[in-house]
Order: sequence, then C-alpha cells, then structure tokens
Amino acid sequence: MSGSIAYAANLSVTPAGRIYAAVKPILWLAVGLLAVEVLVMAFEIRPYYLPRPSAIASGIMATPGAYLAGLWRTFLETALGFLAGSVFGVVMAVVFHRWLALKELFFPLFIVSQTIPVIAFGAVVVLWFGNTLFAKAVISFYISFLPVTVNTLLGFSSVDPRQVQLMRSFGARDGQILRRLYLPAALPQLFVALKLASSLALVGAIVGEWFGDTTGLGVLLLQAMYNENVVGIWATIVVSACLGMGLYSLVSFAERKIVFWGGEQ
Amino acid sequence: MTAFMQTDSARQISRGIAGALLVAAVWEICARGLNLPAYILPSVTSILAGMAGDLASLLEAARFTATESFAGYAIGCLVGMAAAILVTMIPSARSIVLPLATAINSVPVVAYSPLVLLWFGIGMASKIVMVAVAVSFTIFLSTIAGLDRVDRKSVDLIRSFGAGRLAVLWRLRLPTALPLIIAGMRVSTVRSVIVAIVTEMLGAYGGLGWVIYQAVLQIDFVKVWAAIIVASAISLAFFGAISFVERRYVFWSKA
Amino acid sequence: MLNRRNILAAFAAAVLGFQGFTMTALPAAAQDVVNASLRLKWLTQAQFAGFYVALEKGYYKEEGINLTINPGGPNLLTENLVATGADTFGLSGGTDSVFAARDKGMPIVCIGVAHQVTPFVFVSHKDGPVQTVADFKGKKITTWFTGANHVLSAMLSKVGIDPKDADIQPQQVSVTPFVDKQVDVVTATRYNELYVINQRVGKDNLNLFVPEDSGVSFPRDTLIVSEQTAAEKPELVEKFLRASVKGWKDAFANEKEAIDIIMKIAPTLDRAQQEFMLSEVKTLMTAGKASTDGLFTIDKDAVGSANGLLAQYGVISKPVDLDAAFNPSFIDKIPAGERRL
Repeated sequence: MSGSIAYAANLSVTPAGRIYAAVKPILWLAVGLLAVEVLVMAFEIRPYYLPRPSAIASGIMATPGAYLAGLWRTFLETALGFLAGSVFGVVMAVVFHRWLALKELFFPLFIVSQTIPVIAFGAVVVLWFGNTLFAKAVISFYISFLPVTVNTLLGFSSVDPRQVQLMRSFGARDGQILRRLYLPAALPQLFVALKLASSLALVGAIVGEWFGDTTGLGVLLLQAMYNENVVGIWATIVVSACLGMGLYSLVSFAERKIVFWGGEQ
Repeated sequence: MTAFMQTDSARQISRGIAGALLVAAVWEICARGLNLPAYILPSVTSILAGMAGDLASLLEAARFTATESFAGYAIGCLVGMAAAILVTMIPSARSIVLPLATAINSVPVVAYSPLVLLWFGIGMASKIVMVAVAVSFTIFLSTIAGLDRVDRKSVDLIRSFGAGRLAVLWRLRLPTALPLIIAGMRVSTVRSVIVAIVTEMLGAYGGLGWVIYQAVLQIDFVKVWAAIIVASAISLAFFGAISFVERRYVFWSKA
Repeated sequence: MLNRRNILAAFAAAVLGFQGFTMTALPAAAQDVVNASLRLKWLTQAQFAGFYVALEKGYYKEEGINLTINPGGPNLLTENLVATGADTFGLSGGTDSVFAARDKGMPIVCIGVAHQVTPFVFVSHKDGPVQTVADFKGKKITTWFTGANHVLSAMLSKVGIDPKDADIQPQQVSVTPFVDKQVDVVTATRYNELYVINQRVGKDNLNLFVPEDSGVSFPRDTLIVSEQTAAEKPELVEKFLRASVKGWKDAFANEKEAIDIIMKIAPTLDRAQQEFMLSEVKTLMTAGKASTDGLFTIDKDAVGSANGLLAQYGVISKPVDLDAAFNPSFIDKIPAGERRL
C-alpha cells in the first residue's frame, strides 16, 4: 500500500531511470532462476524435490493450451466471486454500522461462517449448485467477503465523531454522511482487505475446482498431484502465482487511482 | 472491532448467542420439516447426538488439528514479523523481498499442499509447515503495512531527540504498527485452522480434516457436520483468545 | 465512483452467475434430446476411456442423450451426487460403496459392473520380509481407506490374522515410501500405481498378492443411477448403457485413438502410463462372467460374496438386499453378443 508509494517515490524521474527500476525486479528474477538451475544440477537434487526451472518451463510449453484454458477459467471464477464478495462485504459493513442490533446478532455468525472449512462448505455447494462456474464463484465469494466487512467496519470506526457532528450541524443526512465521510475514510482499510480478498477468492476458486471440475488451475494441480507429476505441480504453482500477482496488481492499481492520498510515508 | 467488544459485553454476548440460536432453529425446522435425508442436511439435534456419541474420537482429532494449527501459527507469526522488521531495517532489501513475498503469497497456499505433502510426508510436520507458510505471509504483509504507517513527522521528531534506528523501531514504529499487526494476527487464527484441515484432507494420520474425509466416504454426514462444528469451535476459541489479547494490551487502537 | 463501479460489477456478476446457474437447470429443448451427466469416480484418465470415446464419437448423441462427463476426485462421493440428483449417472467406487450407500438409505441402484474382479493388488519387495499373506502380520502396510482396506482385512482374516496385528496406515499419494523400503506392503491398482512401481522397482523384484487368490473378490467401478431415474426413465438408462458399451468396444479395438482422446482432455497426463492403464482395464473388464456375457455384466455371485464380508466388518449394519441394490434388467436388454468384445 504505502510501500508501493514509497517505492514509486524512489523511482527516478528520467525515462532511463524508470526503465531501469521496472526492469530491475525482472533481472533479479532471471538471476534467481539461473542460480536455482545451477544449484539443482550441481547438487543433483532429485526432480521429486525440486525440478530445474528449465524443466518446469518446458513442462508448461509442452501443453500451453491446458494451462491457458485453466488460467482463464480460474480467473473467471475468482473475479466473479471476488466482485460479489467485495460488494456484499461493503454492503454488510454499512448495514452493521447503521443498525447496531443487527451487527450484534449476526456479526459473530459471520465470523463463525468463516471457520467452516472451505472444503466442507465446497462439498455442500457442489451438491446444491452442480458443477458450474457459478458454484465455484459462490465458494470464492464465501471466503472473500468477511475481510472486506471487517476492514470496512474498522475504517468506519476511525472516523472522528466530531466530524460527524460537524456535518450534521450543516444539515447533512445519514446517506450523505455515509457517502462523503465514512466511505472515503474507510477506503484505505478497504483496499487492504480487497488485496487480501483477491488472493482468498483465488484460493476459493482453486479449492472449488477440486470438486470434479473439467478445467481450471485447481484441476491441473490435482491431476499433477495424483499422478506424482512434480514438474506439473510446480508448473501449476507458477501459473497460479502469475494469476495471483496479476489480481494483486489490478487491485493495487485501482487503489493508487482511487485512494490518491495513500499512506503517510 | 475492539469497540464491538468493549461496550456492554453482556448484551452483545446475549445478542450473539441469540443470533446463533436463531440460525440453529431455522436449520432444525428446515431439516425436519422438509424431511431432508441425512446426506443432504442432517438436523441439528441429530448432529448433537452424533457428537455426543463420537466425542472421544472427535476430541482426539481435535487435539491433532489444534496442535498443528497453534504450532504453525506461532512459527508463522514469528517468522512473518521478523522478516518484516528486517526489511524495514534494511531498505535496500525491500525492492527484492517485497515483490518476492507478494509473488509467493499470490499462489494460493493450498497449491503448495501437494508439494509439502510429498516433501514432509503425511504426518503433522507437513500441516505445521503449511500453516506456518500461510500465516507468515499474512503477518509479514500486515506488519510491513503497519510499520509503514508511521507519520514522517513523528519519526523526525523522535530522531531530533537523538533516537537511533533501533529506538525508532522499538518506540515508534512497532507500537504504531501494533493495531494492524494484531488485526492480521486475528484474521490468521481462523485461517490456520482451515489450512490445517484442508491439508489433512489430502493425507493425514488423524485430525478433523481426516475425519471429515473418511466420514464423507463412509457416507456418515452426521459425523461430517459434527467435525465441522468442532473445527469451528476451535477456530472461534482461537479467535477469541487473540481478540482478548488485543483488547487488553493494544488498548490505544481506536477500533 | 466507488459505488458506481461496484454496482456495475455486481450487476455483471449477477447476470453471469444467473446464466451459469440456469444453464444447468434448463430442461432439454423441443427436440428429443435428453440432458444427462455422468460422474466418474476419479480424475480423467484412461480408466474411463470408453465413456470419453462414446462421447467424442457421438454415440450418446445417436441415442438422443446430451451427455456431460464430470470427473470425480478425492473430495467427491459419486453415490452422493447421484442420490441427490446432481448427476444422472455415476461410475462409483465399487460394490463396497454401493453396499454402504444402500445401507445408509441412499436411493441408488447399480446397473452395471465394469471391473469384474478386484482391481487392486498388494505388493511387496521380493527381497523383503513379506513373501506370503501370512507374512503381513506385524508389518507396515499402507492402503486406502476407501474400500481397499476391507479387501485387506478380508485377506488377512482368511489366513487367521487379526487386522489389528498388522501396522495398517493410510496410503500417501506417492509410492516413494514403498520404493524406499520404508513401507513393507503397498496397495496398488493394476492399472495405475502398479505401473509406477514396476517402473521404479522393476517387475521382477516384486511379489504380487491378488485378493482372488485368497478367496476375496470385490468387483469395482460400478455404474449407478438413482432409483427415481431407474423407475421413471428406463429407456434413458438402456440407451446410456448401449452407447457406453459401444464406446468401450471401440476403445478396446482402437486403443491408440482412445488414448488420443484422453490426452486431448487431460494433456498433462503421461501417455505411456495411460496406454498401460487402458490395457490393464481391458483385462479387468473382460474377466469373469464378462468374457461370456459381455461388458458390464452383473455377476450376482461375485457381487454377493462381498456382502457378508462387509456386514462382518461392520461397514454395513446388515447384509444388503442384493436384488434391490443391483438391477441387471437394463444391461440384460443389450444382447450378450453385442456386449462381448
């Protein structure tokens, strides 16, 4: 969050400096991969433990269609679940903020719902909704909404009551106070939660695919695991990492655009 | 969130229980009224009866899962916080470690479970490793976010009093970061139990996830729900414990 | 801006979600085509080649069935999905899981048995301490607690060993512990793990213990439908079986093509292993009564032998009514000549 702003602040203003800064992590990644390749060969580590990066790359290249199809499918499930979860999370936070009685009645249950292992929940969901994209999105939704609610409430509570009084003294109605004071105040916290929720939604989608799906990264992972295909497992991990990073970057990008006042440092 | 716990806890607790009872009542009515077979949704009373009958084995499984969760959680918190403090102390490491940590964290933790199971076997060690990995990244990112929150002016002020780097860390950054760190720790409690259970379902000698897996295959859905309830209870207790610590010791956090 | 974005997103999500949901709920259109699904017992592999061949070559479509094949997995129980109507047909674990389901009151019925003999064997090292079933006593044995454990218990009791006298543990995904000799006896399906073990240890360095040699038989890979489907749509069941038989015969006649089809659906599989799998499955599916009566024959004797055993181990509360659980009327409608290879 603010770390990325600090990072951006360190970027040089000149185009050359900017290019170098963008390329630096990639360079480090390349160096790191090369080091791993050499180490695995030098110590003759069995592929069972750690295959060479080149083996993983060729594994992906051998059947790129499967990974791309899986990537796309998992992305759709995640995106749906994440969006639904975020909206629901914010709405519930507003509801709980407004009506304390509802909060006291149901917020503990929200927390309890999260303690139900997603695998158990997933089994039930698949029974009810069948083998559809919708079912996997439901699982994603289920895992991702709570952090959004919790953090939005946290953000709401950081508002200075005197500011609320001030606005009321100007004749502002509840809805206006919500929109102009509470929601913007909650945005920084909300985005922390959204970043977490994006990765949780991805977990939900992948675990959801373990319930007999036809395509998806979770399916590839399961197949690789049960065929003892360690290269396949790593390949799927790499692709999942790309998807996860992509989602995280999207949310961070949105954050930088929306929460332009960022952190303090 | 702490405000939620502070004011009038008696009323809140009773309201919370009321909400739970309400849901339980609706569940029972649906299960009995619609005459749902056990493999779709057993009634609350039959689950409770099943729990009473299986209590010994459920508690044994609970012990397994709880141990894996707590151990992994403790290790994860320590590693995560230590790494975050290190990165803050050594700014140049930041541009490498942060993207790397984000990348590793982007992989759903469950994706590592096949690897961890292959490497560490199906004993408790693999579950503890999985929980530690899952928790450490959340704590790492929360701690970094918290440490970054510090107001520049406060840092300058305390520096002007001659405070060295370590003092700045200890007296300013850490206390300011504590609310966010504890928030991360709170969320991680439930995650740690879930990760332990998910990993157990892929292979274990015991534990609630293993019980659920077996019970599904034996078509004993009462046992599945009983195990789920026990798992939830453990998560809640864990969550409550950390919330309690937060309330007592992080008293300055506004929420 | 935040609100507008969220509202748009929510709307999009709702529309997409609803569409996905209704696509499964919509009944068949005005034509005579019926929508149905087949739930497999595991992830896509050559073990199910015949069904995929039938789908690819349009045999189901010819019979007026728009079939979707859903893979199974470690977290799914086919009986459950068929009983609740989530799937029309299921290829489930085996006679043991059918018994267990019927015992728990699940309204499913078996309409055909694929593997006529027990598909798994127990393997030990030739140069190890286990040379006969009697040697299992006190040794470290890994098995799956999804049915294979009952086979093991039955084999042990036939030589007078109490299962508690052997160190029986859940089997990992990997056979590496056995290869590394940390485990004395490992359970292997003929078509899957055995391939890997043969590759890594060498066929000649292994002892195989076949359940049938100990007088224990658990036919597996049972085709099931719900009682409701069997009663209300018998023609659908018969057509499904007919198309499936055709697909399997085709798969066994053109093994290479069948594997091509499987590889297309699950490209990350190991082709050599899949070819081995298909040839082993062929042996299993044409063993016993299937050699005379054809594929998917329900041999009541073979099936019934497990009944008493399972009751003995408390897997089922009492022996199951075989006639209610196994209904050969549908498969018998297809003449043996058509079902034989």
